[in-house]
Amino acid sequence: MSAPVPPAIEAIDLRRIYRRGAEEIPAVDGVSFSVDCGAFVSIVGPSGSGKTTLINVLGCLDNPTSGTLRLGGQTIFERGKALSEAALTRIRREVFGYIFQKFYLISTLNVLENVVLPFTFYQKPGAGSEVDRLLKLLEIDHRRSHLPGQLSGGEMQRVAVARALVNRPQILLADEPTGNLDTKRSEEIGRLLKDLNEREGLTVILVTHNLQLARQAQRIVELRDGKIWGRLP
Amino acid sequence: MKKISLFQVAYKNLLRKKTRSILTLVGIGLAGWVLVSLFGFNQGYEASLNRDIDNLGFQMLVIAKGCPYEAATLMLKGGTGLKYLKEDVVGLVAREPEVEGVTPMLMQVVFDPNKGESGGFSAFLGVDPKTFPTLKGTLKFHTGGWFTESEAAEAVFGYEAAELEQREVGDSYLIPEKNVEVKVVGVLERTGTQDDGTIFLPFRTVQRVFGISNELTGIGIKVRKEADIAKFEEKMYALPDVQVVSLAQVKTTIMNLVGTARVLVFSIAVIAILIAMMGVVNTILMSVMERRQEIGILKSMGAQALDIFKLVWLETVILCLAGGAVGSVLAVGTAKLTDVLVRNLLPYAPSGGLVQINVRLVLVTLGVVTLIGLLSGIYPSWRAGRLRPLDAIRSEVES
Amino acid sequence: MSMKIKLVGWLALGLAAAAVALYAAVGCDLNDPDRDVKRLFPESTSYKTLYVSIAKKGGEPLLRKVESRLGDTFKGLYETADVPYTMYQIFRGEELIGYIHGVNQKGQYGGIQVFLALDTKGVIRGFYFQKLTSKAAKLFREPAFGAQFVGLSLKDFEAYDVVTGTEDPPGRVGRIKNPDPGSESDFRAALRGAKKNLILVDEFLLGSPGAAELKSPSSIQLGVQP
Repeated sequence: MSAPVPPAIEAIDLRRIYRRGAEEIPAVDGVSFSVDCGAFVSIVGPSGSGKTTLINVLGCLDNPTSGTLRLGGQTIFERGKALSEAALTRIRREVFGYIFQKFYLISTLNVLENVVLPFTFYQKPGAGSEVDRLLKLLEIDHRRSHLPGQLSGGEMQRVAVARALVNRPQILLADEPTGNLDTKRSEEIGRLLKDLNEREGLTVILVTHNLQLARQAQRIVELRDGKIWGRLP
Repeated sequence: MKKISLFQVAYKNLLRKKTRSILTLVGIGLAGWVLVSLFGFNQGYEASLNRDIDNLGFQMLVIAKGCPYEAATLMLKGGTGLKYLKEDVVGLVAREPEVEGVTPMLMQVVFDPNKGESGGFSAFLGVDPKTFPTLKGTLKFHTGGWFTESEAAEAVFGYEAAELEQREVGDSYLIPEKNVEVKVVGVLERTGTQDDGTIFLPFRTVQRVFGISNELTGIGIKVRKEADIAKFEEKMYALPDVQVVSLAQVKTTIMNLVGTARVLVFSIAVIAILIAMMGVVNTILMSVMERRQEIGILKSMGAQALDIFKLVWLETVILCLAGGAVGSVLAVGTAKLTDVLVRNLLPYAPSGGLVQINVRLVLVTLGVVTLIGLLSGIYPSWRAGRLRPLDAIRSEVES
Repeated sequence: MSMKIKLVGWLALGLAAAAVALYAAVGCDLNDPDRDVKRLFPESTSYKTLYVSIAKKGGEPLLRKVESRLGDTFKGLYETADVPYTMYQIFRGEELIGYIHGVNQKGQYGGIQVFLALDTKGVIRGFYFQKLTSKAAKLFREPAFGAQFVGLSLKDFEAYDVVTGTEDPPGRVGRIKNPDPGSESDFRAALRGAKKNLILVDEFLLGSPGAAELKSPSSIQLGVQP
């Protein structure tokens, strides 16, 4: 019998507290949950529920105030011990790819240059050979020499997705990726995420307030006031 | 191409706000232009001065005692008031053991009423046909040759003087005011020194034409290599009614005078550079603040603080190098104009190019400007590197 | 130190005095354009300065044409195709009212600079020796001599032979009097200079093809008089 595969992400009693003067605001208040490898999980909730804060902590963009975070069975945070920015960066580039509501493409670089931009700073062995396949998969190959200003919103987000995937991350974090897109493009992105998960085996964690988009996932987790409220059907 | 270099990212970042980048570049360019022109003037003035003085051929000059400013002013204004020394001083000087050779000189200036609307001056330098070429060592002729005898009614023209008077070998020339004809026997090659504008005659001819007997305005002295110059100067001072000018001293004194002015202008150039530096710091800092979110994204992609530092620093260096190059090109292109400007401003300027800009100078200036860029870029780059990705990205959505 | 400064001052000024004979240009510019333009055209308000040379504007073919019109070849070390000519366009307000142009001419004893002030049709309204080295310089520079040229144009010079100094058929140029028969060489030089001057103005500014091109020259310097 083989050893059980640890979850891709495991959070135990995770807290993130912000201080505003004398006031303490618990944006994430004792969240415990895990995401298996190859899973597609959506996190939904009303505005101010702590979704973005949670995904930031899970994605090592931020240190938790307390609690434990494990990635692939390896403990990253525990007992409130903060990691240095340099250490966080090393973890991020090995494990995660990110897409956001704003596409953050560099306007003076064309599509191909934007996609391979992560290689300027760090390139995983073998990652370079995947670029063409990625461009075709995301249906932006024919636009590779165009500038972002010449693309539609949906195309720009797909470029952002390609950039997030170019270094073969284990986990894709998507924070409101369709916030700036119309319904049709939003559906396209939703299908794209589902495809990446099902066909490529990518672990996807999606934060959204769009329930229809959230339903592309296998599991939906609802957050309210920094706490997990429950699972949605 | 499956990778884009940091340099390409930096360079393309600068293209994003073209106007701002260009304005900053122009600021650096102007500072660079001042630097190159100043260094060029520094090189050119000293080289031209050296050439003018070396061109005289002799290291010392004996002239009549008296207030030299007064003499010179009167001479320029009215052609009178020149101070003379007796011809027999030549013999006294020549017999000194330190002396290798002497050459007597007699300068005269005439007012020519037919030059221009209200007249102008013409100057003539009387020289000794035998000793002057020996001491000078460097007389090259474009056409013709030297005087045929010591009291001949002949003239040798500097190149530009010949051009103005349209004189060729064999032509006659009329000395204004005196209405005396002399024959042109030689036209010198262009030297870029004061000789180009000089009309040479045998000094005995000048004495005869101008009615001056047994007097000179100066004696050029070539001193033996092994001679004790200070001791020799002392001896010359003992001669009645004459004073000795050592041309090495002249050079030093002029350079000291120019040096003081140079320090002042250099200070201004440094201030210009500091101002340009502040401009660069401000521009890059503004650019970093505007790109906070993007920098955050770069960090989320795997860029370390050092990568961001290098990226922003590169932008600074590119701006400064480009600005320095623009400044250098401007300086080279306007060198002639700067030359004319400086010549009009300075009370004394040697002949020949005052502004000498060569490859070495341009490279040194580019180096200085780049160094300034490197220093200017440190603070904004450090600030950019320190940005936490979350702080940078967070501003968009709080949910 | 003050003694040294005095010595230096003398030497420096001495060197400068020797260089008094050092002139800047080989061409023929007005010594003081602001003053001279106002003197030759009292009604003027501004002028433009144009720089041309035969070499730049037409090269060898143009040189041949000018020599043919002059009736003489360009001679000597200093009369060459690359000599720069300075042409002054004179304005009253926006209106072009005339030209001033000077040429160098070899005289018997030194250089002669012959300036002509012309109206827009190329008719002489003023004659000026900016420089003249001659035994009879005083006589040549008398207003009476220059006045003989007023009203003449290039057409009047066409029959004048600059080599022989004769005019066939006889005309107005032949009637110009030499104030000093002993200075025939300089007198002929003045006439040759005037004819050369008029030909160059015609070639560069007035009549010939290539003149239109010069009217929008690449090098213009605006001089505005006080």
